[in-house]
Amino acid sequence: MRNRDLLTLATRGLTANVSRSLLTMLGIIIGVGAVVLMTGIGKSMEGVILGQISALGPRTLALWPGKQGPEGGSASLRSDFDALTFADIEAIRSLDTVTSVAPMILMTGRAIYGREQMEPSTVGATPEFYSNQKIEIDVGRLHDETDERTARKVAVIGSDVAAELFWNSNPVGERIQLGEEKFTVIGVVKPIGTQFFQNVDERIIVPNSTARAVTRRTYLDMVTMQAADDVSVDLAKKDVESLLRARHGIIAPLTGDPTENDDFLMRTAQQAQDTLGAVSLGLTLFITTVAGISLVVGGIGIMNIMLVAVTERTQEIGLRKALGARRRDILAQFLAESAFLTFTGGLIGIASGLVLMVIVARVAGEFLADYRFAWSISSIVLAVSMAIGTGLLFGIYPARKAADLSPIEAMRYE
Amino acid sequence: MEKKTAPLIEIKGLHKSYFNDELETPVLFDINLKIEKGEFVAIRGPSGSGKSTLMHILGFLDHHTSGSYLFEGQPVSRMDEDSLAKIRAQRVSFVFQAFNLLPRTSVLQNVQLPLLYHPTIAPSERRERAEKAIAAVGLTDRMYNLSNQLSGGQKQRVAIARALITEPDVIFADEPTGNLDSVSGAHVMEALEKLHTDGHTVILVTHDQRTADHARRTIEIYDGRIKSDTPNVKRPPL
Ligand SMILES: Nc1ncnc2c1ncn2[C@@H]1O[C@H](COP(=O)(O)OP(=O)(O)OP(=O)(O)O)[C@@H](O)[C@H]1O
Ligand SMILES: [Mg+2]
Repeated sequence: MRNRDLLTLATRGLTANVSRSLLTMLGIIIGVGAVVLMTGIGKSMEGVILGQISALGPRTLALWPGKQGPEGGSASLRSDFDALTFADIEAIRSLDTVTSVAPMILMTGRAIYGREQMEPSTVGATPEFYSNQKIEIDVGRLHDETDERTARKVAVIGSDVAAELFWNSNPVGERIQLGEEKFTVIGVVKPIGTQFFQNVDERIIVPNSTARAVTRRTYLDMVTMQAADDVSVDLAKKDVESLLRARHGIIAPLTGDPTENDDFLMRTAQQAQDTLGAVSLGLTLFITTVAGISLVVGGIGIMNIMLVAVTERTQEIGLRKALGARRRDILAQFLAESAFLTFTGGLIGIASGLVLMVIVARVAGEFLADYRFAWSISSIVLAVSMAIGTGLLFGIYPARKAADLSPIEAMRYE
Repeated sequence: MEKKTAPLIEIKGLHKSYFNDELETPVLFDINLKIEKGEFVAIRGPSGSGKSTLMHILGFLDHHTSGSYLFEGQPVSRMDEDSLAKIRAQRVSFVFQAFNLLPRTSVLQNVQLPLLYHPTIAPSERRERAEKAIAAVGLTDRMYNLSNQLSGGQKQRVAIARALITEPDVIFADEPTGNLDSVSGAHVMEALEKLHTDGHTVILVTHDQRTADHARRTIEIYDGRIKSDTPNVKRPPL
């Protein structure tokens, strides 16, 4: 058979039975489209999740009061909420294994400026906080040691706070009401987005000493710090932990979990990353499963249509053989036909998956600031090759079997 | 030298059984037959006697169970698939009892189908040959109709046109007039007569004595055995 004839046969095979072709393609389109869409969403979500900790340097350590840390819910509801004292902070600062110790006090209350008001998250932190969280100034200045020493009532505000309270005017030098007190805005920080699923642009930062004075607190809500350059993050963590155990009179059990009796919790950036990584892995697995199921469903669709056509196609093969077709002519024809069909279906599948992804990215972008259009080339390739593989397999396998029959046997097949 | 003297078809002690699962259905028994190039042979016999089965074996469409079949002196059972395909494509053609046209495909395409597998007929010749073959069976006005839009007799004529298009050396026709009225039947027989006079070998199956009388020789089959093999003496006036 000539190559040109093969091409004509392949395209005619597509148009000779339009509904069969469409149904076959539909299976492929659904399978491929679903995989493209689902894995794309998965990839975007992974980006959202992993973006949450991008602000944390790899050598960052965090410390919370209470055995369960922030996972235990609101600290004030637990008995060990006041476990971390200012004296603890001084002791930690004297360690050689950690630097940039940034104690934090969380404050509640509305922020009011003129007729505008909002509910920010307010944190009283020392200047080390800025470097630990990689916070950069946009307008004005960050607060410094002098502000800290004199417990000045100054505030550094997030970009969303600036937008909500001050609209377009410059907030620097303005005074805002925070709880019972008035604070002077000294700077606006660059927009960051979400971290650990919180919009940190709605945050107000005041000096730790000021927060301590205003709230009359004797304990801290959280501390961040960096491992010193010459030690490992794990060693720094162990050092702080044993210091705190000694200071709090805690005896670590000899066997089992050494943190069993602790009244504080320490995490490294790596642990946070692992946790989020596990979440994102779970998500990926879930999505891959769903996509895999769609692919199987699509594949079964392809298979059914191809097998339903087997009787008619077997008779056709018998006839073609009777008219002089060689085995390889038959196989070439069916290969070309199936390839044409599945390839077209695969392309339409990719295209429709991508269109849906763009739509999803638009919609999701409204709710998740960090949602970005993303696609997974490898899974697209996998999906397309699986769909095409199924199409080819069920297109060619029956053809192969039929081509092995004598012409008469094939023509009589029922 | 031997090749020249060898008959076109020579069958000795041929048996054919169909096997369905474990069930053996013996159909042809000890067939011995010689057909020379250019002969016009009719095979007659009651329904179920094995005429189509014999034709399929003669026409390279089915395998025999035992015995020998020599085509131009070559044992068919030792030919590989590609050689068989080559003979089917270029040397012989078949008019099936059940027509076997491609569904949802035009008369023109159906008739051209064998040319796809014919290596020496150029694609540019296809259309002309198809139109000629279709005209020969009087279906020019149905050329673009789909095969399923035809009557039984018209389908039969398409099947004949398809068999003629490659101008094969040997034409096997299984009940070619079975679905035709006497006028169309006579047309078909005229066409076969003409092929015969042009030097082609024509082998046809029929249950009808008048049709068989067109041939120069009649082989009668009864229950899978050759009952008689006689030259025709009384040929009908043309
Ligand atoms: N595939 C098959 N499997 C089993 N038996 C078969 C098969 N094909 C045909 N037969 C049997 O072989 C015998 C001969 O069949 P064949 O078709 O050759 O008859 P025929 O002489 O052409 O009859 P008709 O005039 O009705 O066309 C019949 O008894 C039939 O039942
Ligand atoms: Mg028959």
